[in-house]
Amino acid sequence: MIRYLDQIRAIVWKDLLLEIRSRERIAAMGAFAVLAGILFNFSIDTAIVRPEDVAAGLLWMTLVFGGLLGVGRTFHIEEQDNALLGILTSPVPKDAVFLAKVAANFVLLYAISLLVLGVFALFFRVSLDANVGWVILVLALGSLGFVALATLFAAMSAGTSMGETLLPILVFPLLVPMVVFGAGATGRLLGGRPFSEVDGNVRMLGAFAFAAVWIGAVLFRYVVED
Amino acid sequence: MTNSGVRRGATALTLVGLVGMVALLWMSFFWVSTEVNQGIVQRIFYVHVPAAWTCFLAIGISALCSGVYLWLRDDRLDRAAMCAAEGGLVFATIVITTGPLWGKIAWGTYWTWEPRLTLTLLLWFIFVGYFMVRNATEDPEKGKRFAAVVAIVGALDIPFIHLSVIWFRSLHPQPVVAKPDGPTLPGDMLVTLLFGLLVFTVLFFGLFLFRYALEDVRLRAELRARRTA
Repeated sequence: MIRYLDQIRAIVWKDLLLEIRSRERIAAMGAFAVLAGILFNFSIDTAIVRPEDVAAGLLWMTLVFGGLLGVGRTFHIEEQDNALLGILTSPVPKDAVFLAKVAANFVLLYAISLLVLGVFALFFRVSLDANVGWVILVLALGSLGFVALATLFAAMSAGTSMGETLLPILVFPLLVPMVVFGAGATGRLLGGRPFSEVDGNVRMLGAFAFAAVWIGAVLFRYVVED
Repeated sequence: MTNSGVRRGATALTLVGLVGMVALLWMSFFWVSTEVNQGIVQRIFYVHVPAAWTCFLAIGISALCSGVYLWLRDDRLDRAAMCAAEGGLVFATIVITTGPLWGKIAWGTYWTWEPRLTLTLLLWFIFVGYFMVRNATEDPEKGKRFAAVVAIVGALDIPFIHLSVIWFRSLHPQPVVAKPDGPTLPGDMLVTLLFGLLVFTVLFFGLFLFRYALEDVRLRAELRARRTA
């Protein structure tokens, strides 16, 4: 068990170190998030809708598209020099590789989701006073569920001739529960409603996230076997 | 079972299914009584509900065969999963075309984000993803594995999608047959519906076996062509 965790930690550390040095994905995702916020601002007619009413939905959409941008490239950098093959032929179990990739992607996406929350609070006058702790929890569960599904399918689409264009087609239909429960809870919480109103959503979001991690860990070996 | 055996079974089931389909259409247009509240438009229900049932049956078979395929690596299982998914795509298309036709008259709009309609649309896209992934790989073995994973994840995600879209909003007529306190549908309507379920299931398996036999023949022809080349 300790050995298993050590193996996961080694891969997570390698991925994060690569990211810290290149800053490729985090910069792209961060810039995307802020720019999406700017574009959303101009797409809303404030005479008809109040920005804070649609902010939760836009926040989740930014998370989904920005996440796809970053997670889609998970296996891209490792295709150079066949680095992925090196990891897969090492004596690390495949599910540990998957969990490590999910953990590293989660750190990235979660950082971005907090940035998006801050940006939206600034751009759309969203009040963070009431429930910021709960919103941060909801974003964590949503990011985890998203990253688990997207990492599994990113490994798959990297192995096809369609590449990253295939990823949204595979992932979007499966992400509906995450968006329904996540955006629903975030909207209410940002609107200042009590947590008791959305605890069902949060539980379902948690169940979805853990189911996604589990199923990904089980099936990942079939995606990368060669 | 040999290929000719499969084809004989397919022919028999499809013929029974087609005759049953004519009978079902006759029943739903001339025999069954008109529903009081919705009127004549309710008759589309005898096609819509059986098609929806068949579509869920198809993804069930597809996911099950995919799971066992990943375990045993028997190509026949992959072929069965693929044929079921193709059938599922066809029947899902029937559901999402008949649903809005009914909805336009009953609800006044072609499309609403009603849970079961939404679920079927998403299911349709999962099936589309299944075939895209399958055809986008150079190595057919890889395509089979990828497609199997899509079918399994899709099938496991369905309960979550179902719950979430119900959570979102519900307009769809509530279940009238599969309820804890027994069916509330009048006798002749229930008979027509159950007959419809039977006919669609038989027809699905007939088409499924035909497709399976065709794939078998196609693979053999391919093999022969490769050998002569």
